[in-house]
Parts: sequence; C-alpha cells; structure tokens
Amino acid sequence: MSGHLLEVRNLNKHFGGLHAVKNVSFDIARGEVVGILGPNGAGKTTLYNLLTGFIPPDAGASIQFQGQSILGQAPHRIAGLGISRTFQLCRPFIGLSVLENVLVGALGAGGQDRHGLDERARALLQRVGLAGKEKVPVEVLSYGDQRRLEIARALAARPALLLLDEPFAGLGSGEIDDLSALIRQVHADEGLTVMLIEHKLREFMRLVDRVIALDFGEVIAEGTPEAIVQHPAVIEAYIGRDNPIAAEPSHAA
Amino acid sequence: MFNKPVDLAGAAAFIAFMAVLPLVFTGNYLIGVLTVSVIYGIWAVSWDFMSGLTGRENFGHSLFIGVGAYTAGFLNTTLGINGWWSLPAAMVMAVLFALLMGLPTLRLKGPYFALAMLSGAVIMQRLMLIFWEQTGGEEGINGLTPLIQSQLGFYYFALGVLVATTALLMALARSHWGLILRAIRGDEATCQAAGINVTYYKIASLMISAAFAGAGGAMYAHYQLQVSPQLFAVVTSITIITMVYVGGMASIYGPVGGAILLVLLTELLRNFGEWRLMIYSCTLILILFFLPNGLIAPTWRRVRASLGAKE
Repeated sequence: MSGHLLEVRNLNKHFGGLHAVKNVSFDIARGEVVGILGPNGAGKTTLYNLLTGFIPPDAGASIQFQGQSILGQAPHRIAGLGISRTFQLCRPFIGLSVLENVLVGALGAGGQDRHGLDERARALLQRVGLAGKEKVPVEVLSYGDQRRLEIARALAARPALLLLDEPFAGLGSGEIDDLSALIRQVHADEGLTVMLIEHKLREFMRLVDRVIALDFGEVIAEGTPEAIVQHPAVIEAYIGRDNPIAAEPSHAA
Repeated sequence: MFNKPVDLAGAAAFIAFMAVLPLVFTGNYLIGVLTVSVIYGIWAVSWDFMSGLTGRENFGHSLFIGVGAYTAGFLNTTLGINGWWSLPAAMVMAVLFALLMGLPTLRLKGPYFALAMLSGAVIMQRLMLIFWEQTGGEEGINGLTPLIQSQLGFYYFALGVLVATTALLMALARSHWGLILRAIRGDEATCQAAGINVTYYKIASLMISAAFAGAGGAMYAHYQLQVSPQLFAVVTSITIITMVYVGGMASIYGPVGGAILLVLLTELLRNFGEWRLMIYSCTLILILFFLPNGLIAPTWRRVRASLGAKE
C-alpha cells in the first residue's frame, strides 16, 4: 500500500461527443487539503461524481482509495469506505429536521453504537454552529446554515476523505469566512483529508495546501496556491490569451 | 412520540369505539361494513408504510391483495388446508411478488415503479381470466371456509390484526429504519452519499408493505368466502391511495381513519342513490384541495397539542 490516500489514473468520461474529463491523474496524500480549481464547465463536479461512483468512468481508469480499487462500486459502498461528499446545490433531506438530517448521515456509516448516535449528531451540530436548531425543519434553514448542515451530515459518516463541492457558493463574505474557519478547524482536529471544488481563488488561497487546476476536463496545472495563480495555463483559462483585460475579474480576484 | 400517554389514550379510545360500535348499533349489515372498513385500514396502513414514507407511489397495491386472496383461495379450497394457514401463506406469496416487482423497478428513478405496479395488477387480473381452468375465471374461487363462524368474532379478529399491524408499522416508522425511509423521500442522491443502500431499503419496505396487504387480502377472501379477479382491480389501489391522502400521508395511523371514514361515507351515501358518487367525489376533492396534508392525522395533531402534549 502506497502512502497516498487516493490515487487516480487515466480518468476519462465522455458524455456523447463531450469529453468532460480527459486523462485525469492525480494523488491525494493523507491529511492534505486539496483544491480543485477551474472555470465553470471544467469538469470539476463530474470528477466528484466519478470518484464517488455516481457516474461510471470510461474504460481504462483506475481509482485506488486506501490501497483498494473503488472502481465500479455503488455510491453507498464508496461512502461506506470513507468518502463523504457534499453537493454543489444543497441537497438536504426535505421533510426531516436538522438533527434527523445528521442522524441519517451517521446511520449510513453502519456498525455503530445506535445509542450514541443522537449524542454524536448533537455534538456535530454544536460544532458547525447549528446548536439550538436541532428540531427546525431543514426547509426553513438559511442557505448558509444548509451549507453547515451539509458538512455536519458528511462528517457524521466519519469519512477519511471529505469532498466539498463549491461549499462557498451563494454565501455572503461573512458566511464564507465562518465556513472556511470551520473547514480549517475540522481538518486540524481530525486530520481529515479534504478536497474542495471552487472556482474563485480567494477562498482557496488561505485554505488549501495544493491546487489541481482543471480546464475543459484536463489537468492544466498542479501546485501550491501561490504557484497556481502565476501559472500561465491557469491565467489563460481564466482570462484568456488574446484579451489582456480580465473578462471576469471576480473569478481571479 | 408514540409512547406519549396522549397517543396511547387516543389509540385506546379508538379501539374501544370500534369495539363498542357493533354492540350499540346491532345488525349484521353494520358488522359487515365495519369488517370491510377495518380490512381496508390494513391495506391503507401497509401502503402508507412503503409509499408514504419513501414517496415512491405504488399504484398497484391490489396486486398484493389479490395474490394474498388467491393464495388463501387455492390453499383453502383446492388443497383443503385449514383457513388459518392462509394468512402466513398469503404473506409469503405477497412478499415474493414484492421482490419480483421491486428488484427490477426500484433500482430506477422516475415513474417506472408506479407504472410497473399498476401494470402488474392489471396483468394478474388478466391472467386470472386466461387461466380460467385453474382460477375459475370470472367467477373466481368459491367455497372458502370462514375463519371464525361468528361474524362479530371475525370483526374483532380483523380489528385486532389492524391494531397490531398499525402498532408494528408505526414502531418501525419511528425507528432509525423509518428515518432512513423518510430520508429516501427527501433526497435519494444524498442518501447514497451518506452510505445508504437506497435500493435495499426501498425493496425491503415494499416487501413489508406487501406482507400486510397480502394478509389483508387473505382475510378479505375468508370474509367474502370467495375470491374473484376483481380483487386485482385498479380502482381498489386508487381507493387505498385516496384513503391514505385523506388520513394523512406518512403518519401510518392516519390512513386507518381515512379508510374507515371513506368506507362508512360510501355506505351512508347509499340513500342518495345516483347522487352517491357525485357527493362522494366532491367530498374527496374538497378534502384533498383544502387539506393537502389530509384530515385525520393533522386533526389528531391539533387535538394532542390542545391537550398539552409536548413534542
């Protein structure tokens, strides 16, 4: 068994004529916080869906998690092996209370002491700052609180690898600061390995150890956040080669 | 919530009411109507357990009812086996059919399950006519023996089965198991991301649902003393779904009230002759339109709140 928590090789995915993920290979070391960066449509979410078994990759790929191939496994099995994910658009369990949402996350992990579940779920809610809202129906939570809930739900399964899909999307700057503090704290406390998708650089810079930049489904650069923002391929992907004026300065900001 | 004294008192009051009713208003006609309403209650509760909790609507619950009833018919008449074996045998057969229907269709998202169940019931109804030499065709199977000679005795037996079924399914619905079923209704993809084998839970809950529907089917067969292809009728499934909506979806106990209310309403409206279906339909439309959460369960929640029961 190699030292890497996750090893991805030759990952490809075609949707009809669209080559959504192109020869993607990378490693994630245990305890790392890795950012997946790329403009909209770069294939970031597809990459997550491939890693978590929601869609099958094209033939020839290899995905090793903790030294074991997870290729072709059902999403719930992959989750059971220790990969938890959140979704780009919050997808809580509608009709359930906040506490119940986290409980379901813990139940899926299986083989746990069922009496301690309730306590653990409450502790997780405390941790993400949702204490006191246990009985609130999820539908009425603010978007920022739904994001926190998603993280609590994902953590409830005791993952080894946490995949966050645009955790800051739709949040105000104050909420972004709080949420990145939370992610940093979760990482520090449990040594959890975290991957996060983002297409804005600012949040990344403070949060991640390493960035994998994607464009048109391909890995175009890999390195520290500082190196990535200087990388010509990344600048080209975001700003374009022929147009020196930033088309979308907010992206690169 | 279930173990609250208010709920237990409510359940006790309901059972006492149903038990005393045929003693106050005597007559075999009323006992017959009540027996049918109680059997419909079993069907409605079992439908609600799977479809109400997971949100996967089953439009062919009559498939399990018919399978249960015909199992009872074959065992009791053709094979001459004691009627009490009908119930467990009907449950087993209905569970097998649930597996047969659920395995291919509950893996899929979309309307496949609902449509497959609907077609399954229709196909079974046809098959009963095609293989008339074995099934008795249009006339079905006659000459089943009653489980209990006394009509009142059988009514109390059916009431007992309804109470036991409701108590069991409510306990399951309030357990972690039920929580997972409700989570499936909330979002399947998130369930998978949380490590839950969604297909397993959906099929297992359909099997549980089918078991009780089949038992109810066998009881109905031993009440009517005959079975006919009409048992598979789509209208039965639709009636059951309506009862659940009136009772209050996903509450499990609500559909019991919905079933009894609608069966009694049908009987009360007999005096109105041809206007009967019109009044019945309008009442239903009004209930569903103005009370989207149903009538029985929300009413009970209001009653218990006013009695000061805290969540």
